[in-house]
Amino acid sequence: MTAATAAPVRHRTPRATSAIPLTAARLLRTELRRNAMPWILPLIAALFWFDSYRPSTGTAPLYVLRTFWNMGQGDTIVDFGPFVAGVAAWMGSRDGRRGLADLVTATARPRWAAQLATWAATAIWAVAAYLVFVGVMFAMYAHQGVGGTPPWWWVAVAVTAVTAFSAVGFAFGAYWPSRFAAPVAALGGFLAMAMSSQTGFRSPTGWALILPTNSNGNFDETDSGIFYPWLPDLPIARIMFLAGIAVAALGLTGLPGRAGGPWLRRAAAVVTVAGVASAGIAVGLASNARLSAHGMVIPALHDAADDAPITYTPVCGRAAGVPVCLNPAYRRWLPDVNGALAPVLAEVAGLPGTPVRATQVAAAYSSSAGGPQAVTLGGHPPVLRMSLGSFDMPGPCGFCGGPVATKQFADQIRLGFAQAFVGAGNGPGGPAQQAVQAALLQGAGIPFAVQPALMASSKNGPGPPPGPATGPVYAAARRLATLPAAARHAWLAAHLAALRAGRLTLKDMP
Amino acid sequence: MNVDITDLTRRFGRTQAVAGVSLQAGAGVFGLLGPNGAGKTSLLRMMATVLPPTSGRLRLLGRDPGSYGPRREIRRRLGYLPQNLGYYPGFTAAEFVEYFALLKEMPPGQVPRAVAAAIEQVSLSDKARAKLRTLSGGMLRRAGIAQAIVNGPELLLLDEPTAGLDPEQRVAFRALLRDLGQRATVIVSTHLVEDVGAACTEVALMDAGKIVFQGTPDELIARGEGTGAAGDAPLERGYSAVLAASRSATAVA
Repeated sequence: MTAATAAPVRHRTPRATSAIPLTAARLLRTELRRNAMPWILPLIAALFWFDSYRPSTGTAPLYVLRTFWNMGQGDTIVDFGPFVAGVAAWMGSRDGRRGLADLVTATARPRWAAQLATWAATAIWAVAAYLVFVGVMFAMYAHQGVGGTPPWWWVAVAVTAVTAFSAVGFAFGAYWPSRFAAPVAALGGFLAMAMSSQTGFRSPTGWALILPTNSNGNFDETDSGIFYPWLPDLPIARIMFLAGIAVAALGLTGLPGRAGGPWLRRAAAVVTVAGVASAGIAVGLASNARLSAHGMVIPALHDAADDAPITYTPVCGRAAGVPVCLNPAYRRWLPDVNGALAPVLAEVAGLPGTPVRATQVAAAYSSSAGGPQAVTLGGHPPVLRMSLGSFDMPGPCGFCGGPVATKQFADQIRLGFAQAFVGAGNGPGGPAQQAVQAALLQGAGIPFAVQPALMASSKNGPGPPPGPATGPVYAAARRLATLPAAARHAWLAAHLAALRAGRLTLKDMP
Repeated sequence: MNVDITDLTRRFGRTQAVAGVSLQAGAGVFGLLGPNGAGKTSLLRMMATVLPPTSGRLRLLGRDPGSYGPRREIRRRLGYLPQNLGYYPGFTAAEFVEYFALLKEMPPGQVPRAVAAAIEQVSLSDKARAKLRTLSGGMLRRAGIAQAIVNGPELLLLDEPTAGLDPEQRVAFRALLRDLGQRATVIVSTHLVEDVGAACTEVALMDAGKIVFQGTPDELIARGEGTGAAGDAPLERGYSAVLAASRSATAVA
């Protein structure tokens, strides 16, 4: 030690207010360098890969389906949250655990400010890692040609959730400076996520929509991010909720006597109350959410501009001479759709009411089973409208029990077309309509014998219960199908209007 | 007087750690001696403004630490080395000292030079970039001293500062103490009476929460002369004699 060679630097100048950001930046830099969060990131990365990314690649290459697994159900949050809470608790308990509480308290800077710097570094690492992981995942999706647009609002929800986990974990560690704080916080985070998921499965509406792993609302079998924007209503409510929790937790760390002066502690109390209020208001908002055709709408947050459809230039092909146009997000399936429609369009070619073109329309959210009719025919001239978002598209399908075969998809499209063509609507239709539908499907390559099973497996219409292709309906269908093509066309041309109006009976069949 | 204490007490439940201590100290090195449990650490923690007194009057650097504003001003001018110094194992020695310089609200522009100077003063320059987890106990103690002096404190409180230092470092540290005592009030709590003899201009001896002796090291030595008190050195004999006298007086009372 050198007493004479270097005297300590003495400063007696008043602290300049402008120096505060610089000091905070230097504290943050040191905390970022020496934070424990990077040590746990390889584990989170592995979990993210195996739990969030890989399962999603088993679904159709559309953002709305790929991200249903990992963002809609909150898997990315589950992968991060418990670990972030644990590491944050480790950092929050650091001063107490390391026996530095007295030393830190004896410094001029309010302890709360120092703690916030430690927390901020922890949160920055966690959020940055989350954004990098999700960014890499989206880049891989883009490389794989995934259609649609990423659910940025749901990324924001997850970022806020990660921040909330870090804040709650940090506060827990600050109040309980023990080596056990980290594992207990991690376990608590995991249990909270498990409870959130279970509640989400049971409660598709009401306050439970605020829970970050509740997937009801903007995901699955719909065209969010393809035909219309991802609705921000529910994400905004969840961000309010999670941010409120984060703010309240951080406010709590500023309440103890050693955290700072009276002014600062009052501010911490106000911050805590504001956080609780934000979370409470968000729960109230979510309770008023209702399912619209485009997703979950919260009246107090809803902006009508969000209902405006996304403009796009369709990709088109031809099936039996009829133009077929799809949203570019579905470009890869255009040959499948053309191939599916060609036989049934050929069957009805030249008949009145035959569609002059086929176009894809947006699928709609529905709280009821079955939902709206997936294929409709109408207008002057008639146009076939298909909501492909309601179908399991050919290829990988995460929730279908295996990949969807092209024929399986084609049969569903043909069934939807036949139901629309005979005017059966969203129900099974009358006996005569069922008979004509069966004959059309037979002509399009779907034998009578397999039709009951096909209709039973359809998720886009009630259809008859599975059973043998027998009875008066199939007898009439067989009679119609055995007619020469010209005679069948002539009969259909003469009776199509009455058939669609539901005025024909089996007795009127040839 | 940088330290002005009148009838200060501190209780922990039924235990009275500090019982009516009065003390004044100006610039110089002030030694605080006493056996284990005498109340030295509690007194130092009160002077470090981390432990509020139960009763009594405490003024530091002319300010009342009971109010937040003055307390913060005191803390800006305070250096404190606790008895059981913790550390952040992932920090380097320089980062550790810089961290506390920033917490002491030093002007950011002065921090790098102050950190380098403090580390040099404790002869830790060659280990400035070493992680604290890799340092020996003595080196950690020196890093702790560096953080205490980095802001050029007007009031420096050191609780067992030489614990873990090797003899060579202790000699150097005493020289540093004498130098710091030229312009600041340095209060050193220690068991090691030779530290007091070598560095302190004034000494107080505590026992059972009270100050039982206050004077110069020479006066303490004088109290031991001819008493037959135990001890290898004159200061130790003075220390033993004062304690024995205090305890016998307490027993008679």
